[in-house]
Amino acid sequence: MAGGTTINIASLGRAAPPALRDVPLVRWLLTAVALAFLGLFLLMPLAVILAEALRDGIGAYLASFDDPDALAAIKLTLVTAAIAVPVNVAFGVCAAWAITKFRFPGRALLVTLIDLPFAVSPVVAGLIFVLVFGLQGWLGPWLSELDVRIIFAAPGIVLATLFITFPFVARELIPLMEEQGVEEEQAAMTLGAGGWTIFRRVTLPNIRWALLYGVILCNARAMGEFGAVSVVSGHIRGKTNTLPLHVEILYNEYSFVAAFATASLLGVLAIVTLVLKSLVEHRVRRRIERAAAGEGVS
Amino acid sequence: MSIQVRAVSKAFGDFKAIDGVSFDIPTGELVALLGPSGSGKTTLLRLIAGLESLGPGCGSIRYYEEDMAGQPVRKRRVGFVFQHYALFRHMSVFENVAFGLRVLPRDKRPTRRQVRDRVHELLALVQLEGLAGRYPSQLSGGQRQRVALARALAVQPRVLLLDEPFGALDARVRAELRQWIRRLHDELHITSVFVTHDQEEALEVADRVVVMNRGRVEQIGAPGEVYHAPRTEFVMNFLGQVNTFQGRGVGRDIQFADITIPSSDLRERSGDVRVFVRPHEFEINATRNGKPAFGATVLRIHAAGAVARLDLQLPDGSLITAELPQDRLAELAAAHGDRVFVSPRRVHVF
Repeated sequence: MAGGTTINIASLGRAAPPALRDVPLVRWLLTAVALAFLGLFLLMPLAVILAEALRDGIGAYLASFDDPDALAAIKLTLVTAAIAVPVNVAFGVCAAWAITKFRFPGRALLVTLIDLPFAVSPVVAGLIFVLVFGLQGWLGPWLSELDVRIIFAAPGIVLATLFITFPFVARELIPLMEEQGVEEEQAAMTLGAGGWTIFRRVTLPNIRWALLYGVILCNARAMGEFGAVSVVSGHIRGKTNTLPLHVEILYNEYSFVAAFATASLLGVLAIVTLVLKSLVEHRVRRRIERAAAGEGVS
Repeated sequence: MSIQVRAVSKAFGDFKAIDGVSFDIPTGELVALLGPSGSGKTTLLRLIAGLESLGPGCGSIRYYEEDMAGQPVRKRRVGFVFQHYALFRHMSVFENVAFGLRVLPRDKRPTRRQVRDRVHELLALVQLEGLAGRYPSQLSGGQRQRVALARALAVQPRVLLLDEPFGALDARVRAELRQWIRRLHDELHITSVFVTHDQEEALEVADRVVVMNRGRVEQIGAPGEVYHAPRTEFVMNFLGQVNTFQGRGVGRDIQFADITIPSSDLRERSGDVRVFVRPHEFEINATRNGKPAFGATVLRIHAAGAVARLDLQLPDGSLITAELPQDRLAELAAAHGDRVFVSPRRVHVF
């Protein structure tokens, strides 16, 4: 019996290497391709931005931000994000809550509609707002009577950004809340908790990491959106320029240092976003592992 | 009566989950809702709790004479223990148990100290004193179940409802936990209803069993009553093993497997009937002894256990199972292939 076992193991040992022999080569090759691709398309552009921005020295770099138009662009971008992110957090939580905790007619349609901003080109999204709120648009005449400007003004930029970024929070929450089900909420109900208490003390703590993740992505997009905002902005310097639009204008005017310096701000935003994102992912993974290890205790 | 269920119906689309159910749950009793999956027992429990809504004109549910129609779950003061516990995963055991006390309206909310004392009292009751700081993911199934129970008891519910409380546990923990629940009930005397598909569980733990099938109540009674005096074929089949024969009713007698014996209820019958005999209701002898008996061949003897089980084949090829005490088996000294005579002590016909 023991002899037979030994032979089996030995033959297994002999059989294994040929099957595994290709693997290191494939692994190296795939890693090299992936790294080369990353370097070429992601790291190099970032490096170019920094190099170009600092070409005339740190003084010229900092001087680019002394321009009132640049400061106005930074301010408008921050204001836009400060409005779009909280509104979309509220909307995303409501939509995810409705979709995952209740069954109602039109539920599938709502799920599909949430994806709409991902499905249409940002330029089209911008045009929609021009067609609705522009001077020649449906609501244009009425709005101009009231002396309200939406298109080619800050409100249009905020609206376009809201539209573009509204899937981010909802899409992060829906799968998680779907998986968690409604039993904990029902348990809270039987214990006498009201709707708001249930949300605050049961639902929200369970979704907080996914929510934060959605907020980070939503914020990055709100600050970086170009296409839709470009259509509705009108590119009025110091008034309706966001950071990405400002970069484009500077570049088209051959102010390369200023253009790249401004772009470097967006680059820093991207890096901060990635760092935050991986921190959140790390936290979530640790929690899941801890939970899994906990299951093992039983 | 703590809970009165009157003519309750509930449909999901075209599917009638509950179809005109009425019964009472006396104060302080432990009642089992027993039935196969899809019989509507969980829906009924959720209706009682208020987790499913009862449509207008679909019957009524009363707690202590008070109609619950339109009363939301959170106002009913029910303790509900979910099949998969539904513990708050981001809260420690302590916080889970304290939840119900902390969400009470401000004027009824106990002080921090009272909450702490009450939680520790409950954790002692469910024998989890040392685990207050643990999270649900760090507990075993049986421990989670007990936390869920402590959490439900914290708000001093008027009635405790348990959905398949032992369903997700392994066999040994299940057996322990159900005895423990029975003892706990004897201590607390809180009116309780639990749902189960396991007849053994229902018969062992409950004071009263409500047997359900296809959204209707088949029979209500004490465990001994539903087991020994089943009123329908379904209850006969569902509670314990049973042998079925095709037979004929002739007046007050029943003919089957070439014997004729009087029916136990002495009712007049005619035509085809189904005859049910429990395995322990057969008497088996090596020779005819004057009682009505039919011949059978021994196929297999399972001698392990408190009672011995015999698989027998009738001349027409059908198989039956009989159970007899070990000393009777020794007296009988039967072996594989032997011919024996089987006389039913009791037959059930519906």
